[in-house]
Amino acid sequence: MSKLKTKDLLSQLSDLEASLNGFSFEELNVEEAKSLKSSFNRFKYQLNHKIFGTDETQDGIQPQRMNTSTQQVGEDKKLIAYVSHEIRTPLNGIIGFANLLREDNLNLSQEKKVDAIQSASNNLMEVINEVLEYSKLTTGLEDFEAVDFNVHGVIKDVMFLCQTLIVDKTVNLKIDIAPKVPKVLVGDPSKLSQILLNLIGNAIKFVDRGHITLSVDLKAQENDIYLLHFSVQDTGIGIPQNQLGHIFESFKQAEKDTFRRYGGSGLGLSIVKELVEKLGGRINVLSKVGVGTTFNFNIPFHKGSPSNIPQNRPKSISTAKGKELLGGTKILIFEDNELNRHLISEQLNKWDCITYVTENGSEGLQILKTKAIDIVLMDLKMPEMSGFEISKAIRALNDNEISQVPIIAFSADFTAQDQERCYESGINDFLLKPYTLNELMIKLLKRKKERNLTQASLKLLTQETISITDKGNEKIDLDKLLKECYGELDMLQELVRLFKQNIFEFIGAVKIAMTNLAFEEIYLAAHKIKAGLTLMNTNDLKRIVVSIEEHAKKSDMENVKLLFNQFLEEFPLNEALLDQELAKLKQR
Amino acid sequence: MDGKTVLLADDDELLASLLHFRLKKAGYSVDHVLDGKEVKEYLSHTMPDIIVSDIMMPYFSGIELINYVRKELQSKIPILIISSAGNEENVLSAFELGANDFISKPVSPSELLVRITREVNKTHI
Repeated sequence: MSKLKTKDLLSQLSDLEASLNGFSFEELNVEEAKSLKSSFNRFKYQLNHKIFGTDETQDGIQPQRMNTSTQQVGEDKKLIAYVSHEIRTPLNGIIGFANLLREDNLNLSQEKKVDAIQSASNNLMEVINEVLEYSKLTTGLEDFEAVDFNVHGVIKDVMFLCQTLIVDKTVNLKIDIAPKVPKVLVGDPSKLSQILLNLIGNAIKFVDRGHITLSVDLKAQENDIYLLHFSVQDTGIGIPQNQLGHIFESFKQAEKDTFRRYGGSGLGLSIVKELVEKLGGRINVLSKVGVGTTFNFNIPFHKGSPSNIPQNRPKSISTAKGKELLGGTKILIFEDNELNRHLISEQLNKWDCITYVTENGSEGLQILKTKAIDIVLMDLKMPEMSGFEISKAIRALNDNEISQVPIIAFSADFTAQDQERCYESGINDFLLKPYTLNELMIKLLKRKKERNLTQASLKLLTQETISITDKGNEKIDLDKLLKECYGELDMLQELVRLFKQNIFEFIGAVKIAMTNLAFEEIYLAAHKIKAGLTLMNTNDLKRIVVSIEEHAKKSDMENVKLLFNQFLEEFPLNEALLDQELAKLKQR
Repeated sequence: MDGKTVLLADDDELLASLLHFRLKKAGYSVDHVLDGKEVKEYLSHTMPDIIVSDIMMPYFSGIELINYVRKELQSKIPILIISSAGNEENVLSAFELGANDFISKPVSPSELLVRITREVNKTHI
C-alpha cells in the first residue's frame, strides 16, 4: 500500500456507490450494516492517506486492522483547524474594537473594563493560535523549508526576543554555543526559532529567579550531516515525577491549577515535540521539583554554504558597532508604559547609552537641567501631560544649550495632524511603533551628529534648513543659490549652464531608453537629475521627475511617457524663467 | 584648511561643481571624479585627506568604495557618504564597513562643509 492511485480510489468509490444503490435501509440487517460501515471506513482511510500523504511509518498497516479511534482523532484535528479559523475572525474584530474604544475618552472604571477585554481576548487569541498551529502540524498541513541559514544568528535573535519577555524578574538568560557548531546549515530556521522560543518562553513563565541556559553543541557528524544537540535548562519550579511522562501530551499542564497561574493552552510542548520529530529529531525532559527542568533535543541538519544565504533580509547593525557609534550618549525617555520603558532602556543600554526614564513632565525637566542630555525620546500619549506639551515646555527653557536638545517622538499612530503638532511643539523627528532597532539607531545617529556640531555651525545649519524647507513659492528664485556661491555671479552662471546641460542629457537619455524599454536607465537618469532640480528650486520639474523615477521602477511605460511629455512642455518655461532671473541678477 | 585634499566622487556634476567651488573657497584643494572606476584609479596614485562619495555611482558603489579603502588599501582616511533619502539600510551598511559620517540628499552645501571640516580636524588632532 505504498502508493495509492487516484484511479483505485475512484473505482472503490463507484463500487461503494453501486452497493449503496443495491439495498434499502429498511431491510438492512446487522451484518450488512457492519460490512457497509467497514468498507466505508476503509475507503475513508485510503482517501485520508491519499490527501494528507501520511508518512511511510504507516506503510504495511492493513486498512482492515485500522483502529477507528485514530481515525476519530484525524477528524477532530480537521475540525479544530476549521473551528480555530472561524473563531479567529470575530476575535480579531473584538481586539480591534477594544483598541478603538481605548482611543475614546474613558473614565477610570471604563478603562479597566477595556483592559480586561483586551487581556482576555489576547489570551484567547494566543490559545487559538496554538491550537491551530498544533492541528496544522499533526495533520501534516504545515510546510517545512530547507534553506541555508546562519544558526548562530537564529539563536541570538531568539535570545534577544526572550530577553524582552523577562520583565521585573531576576532571571539570567545565558547562551552557550560550542565553537565547533557550524555557522551555516540547511534546514528550517523559522521552525528552529519556534522550538527555542516555545521552550525558553515556557521556562521564563515558570522561573522567578535564577537562570535559564541554552546550550548548543555538535553531537555527531557524518559526511555533510551534522547532529546538533540543544538543551534548555532552568532553575524553575520543576515538574513532579508522576507528571513528567505526560508533559508532551496535548492539553496537559503539570497541575490542574497551572493554567490559572501561568496561562496558555497547554499545547506549547506538544507543538515543540511535533516540530522536533518532524525535523527528524528527538526530545526528552529531566526535572526535579524545586530544582529545575532541562529539555534536551537533537536535530540533524545538512551542511550549508554562506553564499546561499539570501542577502535581501534587512541588515541589522551589530551591538559592537552600536556601542561605538552611540556609546555614552545620554538619553532621556518620557514613557508611561512600564513594558515599553523596560524594552527601550534595554535596547539603549545594549549600545552603552546612559538612559534616564520618567513619565512625569516636571521630573523630566529637572533631569534635563541637571544632566547634560544629548537626545530626548518622547512618547506622545501619556496620562498627565502630553508629549506635545512637555516638548513645548522644553523649548521654552531659558538655557539655549538645554532647550535645543533634539526631541524624537514615538507613538503607535501618527496622523497628519499629529505631524503638524509635532512641528509646532518643536519635535524634530518621529518614530512609529513598533519600530525596528535599525530605525531607532538611524534616528538617534542623525540627531546625535547634529548635536555634536558646534553651536556656530548649528546656527548656520538651522538657517539653511529653514531656507530649504521654506516652500510654497513656486517661482524660480536664484537668490538663495547666489548666496551659496558667496555672491559670485560667475559661479552661479556656470551652475545654470551645467544645469541646462544636465537637463539636455537627461532628455536625450530618456528618449533613447524609452524606445529600448530600458527602465533601469530611465530610473537612473531621473535619479541623477533630482539633486540639480532641488538646487535650482525648480519644484514643478522635480515633482515630475520624481514621478518618472517611481513609474520607471514599476516598469510602467505608459505613465513614464505621459510624464516625460509633461516635462518637455514644462522645461522651456522653467528655462526662460531661469534666464530672466539671471539677467535680473546681472543688472543689479 | 590649507593643503588638505578632498576627493569628491559624485556623478552629479551640478552638485559637485558647487561643492568644489565652496571647498576651494574654504581653502581645500579638491579633486573630482565621476564614477567608481575613476575613484579606484585616483586612489592608486594619491591618498587624499578625506573622501566624500555618493552612495550611488556608476561601476562601483559608495559601499564598495568603503570596503575597498578599508579592506584592500587598509586606510583609515575619513569617508563621508552622501545618501539618498529613504535608503537607510545602505547607510547602516556604510557605517558597518567603516564610513565616518553621512549626509542625506538634498545636500545642504553648508552642512556638508561643516561635516568635512569636522572629520578632517578630528584626524588632525
